[in-house]
Amino acid sequence: MTTNPVGDVTMSYVDLLPEAPGEAVPVLLLHGFGSDFQMNWGSTGWVRDLEAVGRRVIGPDLRGHGASDKPTESAFYLPEHFVSDLVDLLDRLGLERVDVVGYSMGSRLAWELALTAPERVRRLVLGGFGPDNALAGVEEGVPGEGDTPFDQVYRTVVGLPGNDADALAACALGQAARPFTPEPRPEGVPILFAAGAKDPVAAGVEGLAEAIGATFVEVPKRDHVNAVSSRAFRRAVIDFLEVDADEA
Amino acid sequence: MAEENITFSLPDLGEGLVEATVLEWQVEVGERIGRNDPLVEVETTKSAVVIPSPESGVVAGLHAEEEQVVPVGAPLVTFTVERKDGPQAGIVGRVPTEEAAPRRRVRLKPPTD
Repeated sequence: MTTNPVGDVTMSYVDLLPEAPGEAVPVLLLHGFGSDFQMNWGSTGWVRDLEAVGRRVIGPDLRGHGASDKPTESAFYLPEHFVSDLVDLLDRLGLERVDVVGYSMGSRLAWELALTAPERVRRLVLGGFGPDNALAGVEEGVPGEGDTPFDQVYRTVVGLPGNDADALAACALGQAARPFTPEPRPEGVPILFAAGAKDPVAAGVEGLAEAIGATFVEVPKRDHVNAVSSRAFRRAVIDFLEVDADEA
Repeated sequence: MAEENITFSLPDLGEGLVEATVLEWQVEVGERIGRNDPLVEVETTKSAVVIPSPESGVVAGLHAEEEQVVPVGAPLVTFTVERKDGPQAGIVGRVPTEEAAPRRRVRLKPPTD
C-alpha cells in the first residue's frame, strides 16, 4: 500500500458535444460495477437521448473498469478516490457544475460526489440503488460465491471482455469499506431515484427517497440489469434534468 | 421513386450470444423511423441494449412480441423504404456501424516526484 494510492491512476473518458452546443448544463454519467461507459450508457440509448436535448455528455470509465487503469489493491478503490478522480476531471474540463446520473455503484459514487462537492452538482439521479448495503458480507467471503444480489451482479460481469477479476474484487472490497448512509444528504441538490420494480439491489429505495425528500420513479417490470435501457427510465431522467437546464 | 420491403434480422450481438429477448419495441407498425433512431430494446444474458434502426422507412411489420426470445439471424422487423435507384434484390438490413466516440485518457494527479 502506498500513502497516496489515489495518485497514479489513468482514467479514460469521452466528452461528447451536441451538434448545437448551447448553455445547457453538461451531464456526467457514472456507470455501474463491472460495466463501463459504453455498455452502461452508450449502447442503452442514453447518449443519443441526451444529445437529442442538446446536452454535452461526460463519460468516464471509472478506475478498475473499461479502458481506465485497473489497480488490484482495495486501497485504490475507496469512494473518496473515485470522487477525487471525478472532481479532477471536472476541473480539467473547466466545468463548474454538472448534472450527475449514476447507476448502481455509479449512484453510490454520484452521491459521494454530491456530498463532497455539492457546489459542483446541479441535479442528481441515482438509478438502480437503494439503502441496503449491497456489499454486505463481501469482506468475509469470495465475491461471486454467495447468493446476495451483489454476488449475482458479480457473476454476470466478471466474465465480460476487458474485465479484470482481481481489480473488480479489489473494487468491491474498497467500496465495502465505506457503507452508504442516508444522512447527511447532499445539501441543496434535487435528487431523483429510479429503479426497476424487480430490482433487489434497490430494495427499499422508495422509503429512502421519501425520507430524504427526493423523487422516486419506479421502472415497471424491470430488474437490475434491464432497467438501464428502459425508455420509461430514460424519459423520467431527462424530464428531471431538463428543469431549468439552461439557467445554471 | 420505387418502394421495397427490407427485412432486418437480429444481428450478432457479440460474445458468442446466440439469442436475445425483446424487451420493448420503440416503434409501432405504420410509424416512420429514421436511420439510427431507436428501434428495439433487447436483453441478452449479459446486458440490455437499444438497437438503432438500420434503415429510414416505414415500419411494415414486427416479427417478435415483447418478452419473446429471438435467435440471432431470425427476422426482427420489416421496413418499407423508398429507393431512388429502383429496387435492388437481395438487400439485407445491417446494423449501422457505431461511430467510435473520441476517447481520451487523463492521468489524474500525476506524481510530483
